[in-house]
Amino acid sequence: MARVFVVDDEPDMVDLLATILKADGFEVETDTDGRSALARMLADPPDLVLLDLMMPDLDGMELLKLLRLDTKGADVPVLVVSARSGHQDQLGTLQLGANAYICKPFSPRELVRQVRQLLGATGGEQPRG
Amino acid sequence: MSTKRTSLQTRIARHIAFAVVLSLVASALVLVVFRHRSVQRNMERSAQTYTSMVCDPLVTIIDFWGSSGKAILDQEVAQLRGLNADVNRLEIVNVRGNVLFRSEGHSLVVYGDGVNSPIIEDRDLSRAIAGLEPSTSVVREPTGERVYRVVAPIVNQFGAHHFSLVATFSYADVDRQLRNSLWLSALILAMGLGLTQWVSMMLARGITRDVERLREGVQRIQEGHLEERVSVNSRDEIEELAEAFNVMADELLATIQRLREANRELETLDQTKADLVANVSHELKTPLTALRGYLELMTDGELGGLPEEALRAAMICRKNVQRLSLRVEELVQLSRFERYMTLDSAREEVDLSAVLEGVIDTFSPRLEESGIEIEVHVDTALDPLQLNPEQVERVFFNVLDNAVKFTPQGGAIVVIAEEIVRNEQTGVQVSIRDEGVGIPRSELVRIFDRFHQVDPSSRRRFGGMGLGLSLVRSIVEAHRGSVWAESTEGSGSVFYVWFPRLEQSTDRTDQTGPSVRLETAGAGKRVSEEG
Repeated sequence: MARVFVVDDEPDMVDLLATILKADGFEVETDTDGRSALARMLADPPDLVLLDLMMPDLDGMELLKLLRLDTKGADVPVLVVSARSGHQDQLGTLQLGANAYICKPFSPRELVRQVRQLLGATGGEQPRG
Repeated sequence: MSTKRTSLQTRIARHIAFAVVLSLVASALVLVVFRHRSVQRNMERSAQTYTSMVCDPLVTIIDFWGSSGKAILDQEVAQLRGLNADVNRLEIVNVRGNVLFRSEGHSLVVYGDGVNSPIIEDRDLSRAIAGLEPSTSVVREPTGERVYRVVAPIVNQFGAHHFSLVATFSYADVDRQLRNSLWLSALILAMGLGLTQWVSMMLARGITRDVERLREGVQRIQEGHLEERVSVNSRDEIEELAEAFNVMADELLATIQRLREANRELETLDQTKADLVANVSHELKTPLTALRGYLELMTDGELGGLPEEALRAAMICRKNVQRLSLRVEELVQLSRFERYMTLDSAREEVDLSAVLEGVIDTFSPRLEESGIEIEVHVDTALDPLQLNPEQVERVFFNVLDNAVKFTPQGGAIVVIAEEIVRNEQTGVQVSIRDEGVGIPRSELVRIFDRFHQVDPSSRRRFGGMGLGLSLVRSIVEAHRGSVWAESTEGSGSVFYVWFPRLEQSTDRTDQTGPSVRLETAGAGKRVSEEG
């Protein structure tokens, strides 16, 4: 069972993402704070990270940079979840090392499709169902 | 300013020189004429005096010529003639007109009693000879020479008048003096000319120095040195002009500073607005995502079955959340639209095929979902164009978005990029063909208008405020390209975007408006917006 780490400062968003992924059979870990999330991810790297960009304290971009700097986090696939829909914003995060980008507001089906695609492409464990 | 012009200094110098030369010539002419007259009058007066003076000695000489001999006579006459250099000829004529004595040049002829002597035939002269008063006249000799003739009666001691002395004087010396004065005047004039040129240049420089200073000031301002001021102390109109100019420059500087400040404020405001829109959209999108996600999970039955009424209500919620999401996205688009319009179109080499590939990539999830195929044919020999990459990306994104929106499930979109010469200008044309319902003929022109939609009801079906294609048109026109659409009933539409190859961005041969061609009417309805 693939383990997905969800980082978002909005508890409702965390809840939604967790609900969608759990319904599809993923194991989900969540955190609403960037710093503690990074520490936990590096301590025990997940199969995939769902990352919000705009967060207080340590925002998504910074977190992504720090994650990629660490050997443990360098290869973890990251799917960025953001409200910014501009093409340039997407390119920017992809250049920072994100693997994919999904714009708010997205449909649950689209999210699951992207997550599966990422896990498949990076050779991650395929979830059941 | 670099065109060949005559400087003010040269012009003023020319005018001064002209005036001076004109007055010099005029005064020289007047002087010469007066001098000539007085010389001539002097000569005539001395001729008269001479004539009356030589009468008596001459008669005496002639009376005794027989006794003194010709040599003595020659000598005596030569002496008398030597008293006046102008004298040409001396004749003694009796009142009947017979010439008794004639001295001309070195020849001296005495005809004696007049039997063999020549006779004067000129009537005026005969009358003058017969007269008792001296007379003068200007006549022409048979040789054509103009001479002065004085006729003086010779009266003996008994008061009888038998003879007259006819003396002819030459004007040669007077004319020579005239020629000399003319030459002298010409020489003085020539020297005066040189002097005039120099003096007039100096005078003109004095006048134009201040004007030149003013001109330099204007040029400095023109070059952007707005702090430049002109200092002129000529106490005349030029000084007034310089003062007015300085006031104007002050005003200009103040106005520009005010405008700059206003512009800075506007920029700040604009940035604030852009930030606000971005923040608002973010603030709106996050809750919308939660709503949308849960509603979809609920209506898809992922969270357990719902009672029928509750499911219907949730479906309505879901639909409205979707509409709200579109509106929010449009809000972002609108703020970007304005940014695009104010953005300086910074151009760089753009590889159109790479741009197309990138844009099409962003559509791949949607295409997969709806089973639409995209065929792309790009001319391999396409050279890069000078374009603004971000704007060009937006153009193809919006046109493709439109095409994807209206192509039914399982349809196909064909994109072709090729070199096309339009209006004798080389460029690249990209055509995007969809299999939508087509656009009515009457709408083909207007689909590129801002906020235009083919059918207001289609907004409900497809969403959008009609900004996408107008943004396309604005960007393409900013690149001096063309965008137009053709449509065939039932089988879809083709959108054409053409960008010219601009050799130099400085040439301003503006293309007039978008080229919109009307081909065939489509029966279907179509909106001009992205979702």
